Amino acid sequence: MSLELDAEQVAFTFKGGMLPLTVIELASGNIERIEAQLSGKISQSPAFFQHTPVVIGLERLPDEPLALDQLCAMLRRHRLLPVAVRGGNDAIKQSAWALGIGWFPPQEGRAQPVVEPVPVAPLPEEAPPLELRSGRIFRGTVRSGQQVSAPRGDLVVVGAVNAGAEILAAGSIHVYGPLRGRALAGIHGDQDAAVFCHELDAELLSVAGNYKRLEDIPPDLLGKSVQVRMVEDQLEISAFEPLRV
Amino acid sequence: MAKIIVVTSGKGGVGKTTSAAAIATGLAFKGHKTVVIDFDVGLRNLDLIMGCERRVVYDLINVIQGEAGLNQALIRDKRVENLHILPASQTRDKDALTIEGVERVLDTLSEDFDYIVCDSPAGIERGAQLAMYFADEAVVVTNPEVSSVRDSDRMLGLLSSKTRRAEQGQEPIKEHLLITRYSPDRVTSGDMLNLDDIREILAIPLIGLIPESEAVLRASNQGVPVTHDQQSDAGQAYSDTVDRLLGEDKPLRFHEQQKRGFLSRMFGGGRR
Ligand SMILES: Nc1ncnc2c1ncn2[C@@H]1O[C@H](COP(=O)(O)OP(=O)(O)OP(=O)(O)O)[C@@H](O)[C@H]1O
Ligand SMILES: [Mg+2]
Repeated sequence: MSLELDAEQVAFTFKGGMLPLTVIELASGNIERIEAQLSGKISQSPAFFQHTPVVIGLERLPDEPLALDQLCAMLRRHRLLPVAVRGGNDAIKQSAWALGIGWFPPQEGRAQPVVEPVPVAPLPEEAPPLELRSGRIFRGTVRSGQQVSAPRGDLVVVGAVNAGAEILAAGSIHVYGPLRGRALAGIHGDQDAAVFCHELDAELLSVAGNYKRLEDIPPDLLGKSVQVRMVEDQLEISAFEPLRV
Repeated sequence: MAKIIVVTSGKGGVGKTTSAAAIATGLAFKGHKTVVIDFDVGLRNLDLIMGCERRVVYDLINVIQGEAGLNQALIRDKRVENLHILPASQTRDKDALTIEGVERVLDTLSEDFDYIVCDSPAGIERGAQLAMYFADEAVVVTNPEVSSVRDSDRMLGLLSSKTRRAEQGQEPIKEHLLITRYSPDRVTSGDMLNLDDIREILAIPLIGLIPESEAVLRASNQGVPVTHDQQSDAGQAYSDTVDRLLGEDKPLRFHEQQKRGFLSRMFGGGRR
């Protein structure tokens, strides 16, 4: 046996963490309807539904009865892993616990601070505020086979993204150079995310799971400086007009 | 301490072995003590191109497994002083190449040689990764076609992450682009990518451009690296490449379509 049994050798330590989690914010308690919509999303971007942990958000239907067990089973069939419920009444809380998943109090609008702290330890003191370190700037060429991601914020690439490369961001993506590979913005479902690039030649563009392949991109937009965003539930690519002086 | 140069590409058949042999020969011509190592276990091409296939007794794997000493396995080139070849095995299993073994061989060679040129196998698997792992510089061989450029790009990604320099956070490997089998006529006709497109995509400095040339075929059939053929375009282009590797400034040649003179049009002659 070793000679010293000091604090270094404890079996575990509690660490504070802020993990990115996708919230499925339900607008309906009808499981068939949820499943129908989900199937569509999954066929669009299967890569993001590989045992992805999700939180079921019930803020928008606080008192509606919900078959939580069936909902969880359905999500698991589609390779999503429900890990907790946020919001809902006491009955929901009890059935979440019975199913072995967690319960978080409802989040009431952004401006209002959450009254009860969520059961995640606070960030360590030395960590800068979340806003300051959630984005990422990558300088250089993203090459075939490489993946660069900003799982919590915007991604800025100062350079080229070559064919066969993939860039991902929870927020928006900005490429100051040619975009020849795959760019996926809003990977946790943020519909307001967008992709901006200097020179469009992308293999795939996606915002919140809505995607267009190179084949679907109007040829007159290729090589242009563009933005890609959701407009009325459609992925729209538009060229920046040259400035007229 | 020797400088270790890997000649790599990802895609097969683009001219790695031809280039490794030509560059090693060129370095030796310039008076640098050079060894060229074949990492392509199972295929063994380098000794053919170097014209020493009949003199192979032991190989890299024998040395790694302790069955032969380095001096027994090294073959001295008959034409150029200062040039040695360490052949690969045709019969052994690729798995016999170990990272520790390769390190030991390179460390020992480093004491005696100025340059160690590693001829990488195609692909991005173990063999290719071992060939590049200890390199100080990389010559990325690319043909003017989309798939080759794509594979070179992939290789550059690996060079920046899967090498000792990258893993230990040392100064990154110096990367050089070598475009081979370039045919200005076919670029003009649109069959091939042009020089500027390749440079723009790969975004690393160009060390040389080798034209598509019959001299290369002739050279490999005779087992004489094309650098010996200084009458030929490819031979001159490889010499330029070596000069640039050594830090000399040489203008680019052979990248423009040849304007044919009256006589050559009459008699259908091209560059030889
Ligand atoms: N500049 C050139 N002009 C004409 N033919 C060439 C040229 N360079 C290479 N070749 C030919 O291309 C073929 C492949 O060359 P080589 O064996 O050097 O490629 P490689 O990349 O080492 O292949 P592998 O991936 O199988 O190891 C050979 O037949 C060679 O003669
Ligand atoms: Mg070869």
